[in-house]
Amino acid sequence: MASDAEARARALSSALAALDAEAGRQAAIHMSACVRCGLCGQSCHIYRSEPTPANLPASKVEAVASFHRRRHTFLGRHAPRLVGARDLGPRELESLVETVFGRCTGCGRCSLHCSIGLDVSAIIRAARRVLTKAGLTPDGLRRTVRTQIETGNQMAVTPEELRETAAWISDELAGETGHEGARVPVDEAGSRVLYLVNPREIKFFPLSLQAAAGVFYAAGESWTLSTRTCDVTNYGFYAVDDSAAAELTRRVLEEADRLGASEVVLSECGHGFRSFRWEGPGWLGERPRIPFRSVLERMDAWLAEDRIPIDPARNAAVTTLHDPCNLVRWGGISEPQRNVLRKICARFVEMTPNRADNFCCGGGGGMLSMEEFGERRVRSGSIKAEQIRATGARVVACPCHNCADQLLEITRVHGLDVEIRAVVEILYDVIDWRRVRGQTLRS
Amino acid sequence: MKVGDHEYALDGNGFLQEPQSWNEDVAREIARDEGIADMTGPHWAVVKFIREYWLEHDLAPPVRLLCKESGVGVRDMYRLFRSGPAKGACRVAGLPKPDGCV
Repeated sequence: MASDAEARARALSSALAALDAEAGRQAAIHMSACVRCGLCGQSCHIYRSEPTPANLPASKVEAVASFHRRRHTFLGRHAPRLVGARDLGPRELESLVETVFGRCTGCGRCSLHCSIGLDVSAIIRAARRVLTKAGLTPDGLRRTVRTQIETGNQMAVTPEELRETAAWISDELAGETGHEGARVPVDEAGSRVLYLVNPREIKFFPLSLQAAAGVFYAAGESWTLSTRTCDVTNYGFYAVDDSAAAELTRRVLEEADRLGASEVVLSECGHGFRSFRWEGPGWLGERPRIPFRSVLERMDAWLAEDRIPIDPARNAAVTTLHDPCNLVRWGGISEPQRNVLRKICARFVEMTPNRADNFCCGGGGGMLSMEEFGERRVRSGSIKAEQIRATGARVVACPCHNCADQLLEITRVHGLDVEIRAVVEILYDVIDWRRVRGQTLRS
Repeated sequence: MKVGDHEYALDGNGFLQEPQSWNEDVAREIARDEGIADMTGPHWAVVKFIREYWLEHDLAPPVRLLCKESGVGVRDMYRLFRSGPAKGACRVAGLPKPDGCV
């Protein structure tokens, strides 16, 4: 018991020190600016699907701001009750974990609708950082960060397993396309592109890796996977463990250097894209030497250049598109996937709202890895499920493997008969292999 | 989740809380929830290999081995288990949810 109490006391003092470290100009503005208008409620998928006060974005902000106010404002220090300032104690820490990890995916939609443009998710992320420094990150999330740091990828895929899966998928690919040269290259120095995948593509969902390999081949791109760094994800981003996040970014850049690659292409992933493209320079304290691009941007460019022969008539299914928050609202990538889908789907329909105003699927913010919030996660997916139902689509293009898993689950639970597919898989299906020249044009 | 006279607890993600308590009736019940009305031979081949692999390695098997050992083709795997090998087949096999983006 004593050691348990000691551990709790240590966690609390780390949390307080971390909270004080957050208290800069930005936090002071964000944590005191909310005007409590309540507009944020209807913008939030979690509040809409479970409208209790604790789920209101303004309440989540207040839950964090009240501790900040107690320590860093004049009235909070001297008349805490008057201004609703609270002391951060062990019980408060526990409920703060649920608030910032279990009631917010950091999707940012509330900020878009906020009457004063408050950056709610910056506050949530500051609180996640405090809790992570205090060692209070939810277990599933903490385990995944540790697995990434220790094994190089979030699913502990070994180099041997990656090589064998690449060989297996290469055989499948050659068999399906009739092109012996189409394959999944591994650790090939001198390749122009280092391609990063979500490890679940190796372990559980290799059809998207096969599709990407086919698309790279058809476009004549020179590329490789790496057994040292294959992972496009960064769970340090979700936990707000900045040193882990920086380390994972640095390793990829070092590996790209070692292989002599001049571009890193990222498989369809929301937070992975945001992490490498936008957060990476902040973590590293410098601008990366080579560009990070989403495979969506690459596919868009190749189709615009007519580098991939396609026959869109093969695809007649009504198809809609999910906008992953970290890719679209935060990442600024909304049109490449649409340009691609309009060329390869005979019947493409938008869901409403879309692009930067999309609703989160409910699986963001690392929610899929935190079992304790599973019920709320699935319930909050009802908003997305109804958006999909309203389109009448049979296929949902989903340019994020994390969202894809949530969509698979919520469409099953909410009784929708749709297929969830990566954009690269839909493109792969319409490639006209007889017209593919089958040579690597660039190296 | 009730199977026969026994109550089996599921976690927040719908996975069996006590993986050791798994049996074939539990598998059938989780499968029904997955939209699998009837567990066929290939379904059992996949589920039993996952179960054996997990008991030995404390890990879900990679889909490459799963296809090889069960004789189910990779595209057929997703027809048998709509949620895929991780959340579909592993759940039916009574494993804890694999970590990460699943």
